Amino acid sequence: MSYFEECLTSGGLLFQEERRALYKYLLEINKDFYVDQANLLLDKGTTTRCIANGEATYFLKDRKVNYSARQLNSDEIQSELREIKLTRIRRYNIRKLEKFFAQCDVDVISNFPIPGRIPKEESGYGFNAYPFYTLAYYANGRNYLKGIVKKLRTKDNEILTKLRTL
Amino acid sequence: MPLTIPKSVPLLPKVPSIAVVGLLAAQFLILQGIGGTDPKCTLNVERPHYSTSLSEDQNIDAIKLNITSTCNVSQKYTQLSASIQKIQNNRETTAYSFVNEIRNSTAKSPTVASFKNLFAPCLRGVSTSYRGIARGFVYLENGKKLAVEGDSGKFVAAACLIGAQ
Repeated sequence: MSYFEECLTSGGLLFQEERRALYKYLLEINKDFYVDQANLLLDKGTTTRCIANGEATYFLKDRKVNYSARQLNSDEIQSELREIKLTRIRRYNIRKLEKFFAQCDVDVISNFPIPGRIPKEESGYGFNAYPFYTLAYYANGRNYLKGIVKKLRTKDNEILTKLRTL
Repeated sequence: MPLTIPKSVPLLPKVPSIAVVGLLAAQFLILQGIGGTDPKCTLNVERPHYSTSLSEDQNIDAIKLNITSTCNVSQKYTQLSASIQKIQNNRETTAYSFVNEIRNSTAKSPTVASFKNLFAPCLRGVSTSYRGIARGFVYLENGKKLAVEGDSGKFVAAACLIGAQ
């Protein structure tokens, strides 16, 4: 089993550093897929994606995108979990959406991992309020200058190498 | 001629004293009842501990911090920033931070939001004392936002050192 497959099973047991590296890895390997997904969302107004043991549905309304998620084969839907505002520039929106999709994929994997031998502890849907692609995440919503410094100092190479190893 | 000052006669209550006591008791109970609907939330920060389940199941060494926010009314979610504090060189320092984590309540327990997957990687074999602290907000179903904070109390030792990777 590769480390990436392990991540799909570990889900909520992943460390913060692992989730952040997983975000970067997903963004890297799914680039074309996310672009297609973004185009579909911008054209149709909704799109659905399954990953690990969860399903995310994205909605576009009034130039805002949010998503809802549910565990596969479950009726309990977690709605309006994250939201981003889009601009009038399509190309820029696609870039924004790529990052948004990668972040939401990490959320879904963390909450609905592939069932394994480790039983999932009962708790509500959880995620980090500031997405990994924002400076607010690194700055804890405060001093963005410190956030830039912290972002530059953050090295996820070790975990990324593990993820890239098949 | 001697001056006579009229003796003041205190007004006597026209209502029987038993009725006064009854009215006061009723007022107290009514106010208590209204006060009881005030939304209140508490944060329970458990002491950070070495996760034996993660060690046994995944062969990973980690310190786990469990936090639960409980309200007397339904909540949407709780947003917290938490940290595991450690004692190093006789000083309290932050060993690991969990920044602005959100947990939704569940349909089964709409008044509770549980943070049960806050893990910090650690190096086994080195005993260190830890405590957990957290602060943030509970977002209620009625749209109100309540500030909450809490800690796990005194430092307790665990045989695993955070920040030695």
